[in-house]
Amino acid sequence: MKHLNDEQFGKFIKDAFPPVTGAELSGDLWPRMLRKLDDSRPRFSWFDWVLAGVAVLLCLIAPGAIPGLLYNL
Amino acid sequence: MKSYPYLRAYMAGITIPTVMLIFLITVFTIARYAFNLSNPIERMIVFPMAIVPNLWGLWNMLFLRLRPHRYISIGFHGAILALVQTSIAIGLFKLIDFELPEFAWRAWPFAFPVIAIGFYLVWKHVVSFFNTLLGIDG
Repeated sequence: MKHLNDEQFGKFIKDAFPPVTGAELSGDLWPRMLRKLDDSRPRFSWFDWVLAGVAVLLCLIAPGAIPGLLYNL
Repeated sequence: MKSYPYLRAYMAGITIPTVMLIFLITVFTIARYAFNLSNPIERMIVFPMAIVPNLWGLWNMLFLRLRPHRYISIGFHGAILALVQTSIAIGLFKLIDFELPEFAWRAWPFAFPVIAIGFYLVWKHVVSFFNTLLGIDG
């Protein structure tokens, strides 16, 4: 088995791995992070609006439902 | 941020009931002392103070555990919690012999759907947001 000294080993590693290019950041990553957070948030769909409307209607019919909801939240 | 996902799920879960607690206590304190509500509310306040936040945290941990197995959406997961939580609340009232006011029993058929819808929307939009914020995609 051939033994390499430090210099040879360094050269061996450099030859084995291609130089990294384009490692600099192309810009600020925070706006992309904010966009990702915004995209992953579910939108208020028509079904959600219908449900919210039903809940409001039920609360108007029976206001006693409101403390029930508050108590459980 | 890949470590301790269950701890993060727990923290995301307890946020809403912990914040809501201050509003609940305000409403019930005003009802008790300003409007002389006769029911001893302090006997049942332990439920929203101690049980609800922990239940929400554990429920979110359960969602994290079940999600890889093609589980239901987070909104419906939250709506199921409404059933579990109200059952525990009613069981607790029976256990401590707490008499619910008459208006509460009359409103119950309306209150339960409101609670289930409220839970569905809060879990779908708010708990899910906290999950994303803490690196657990909801």
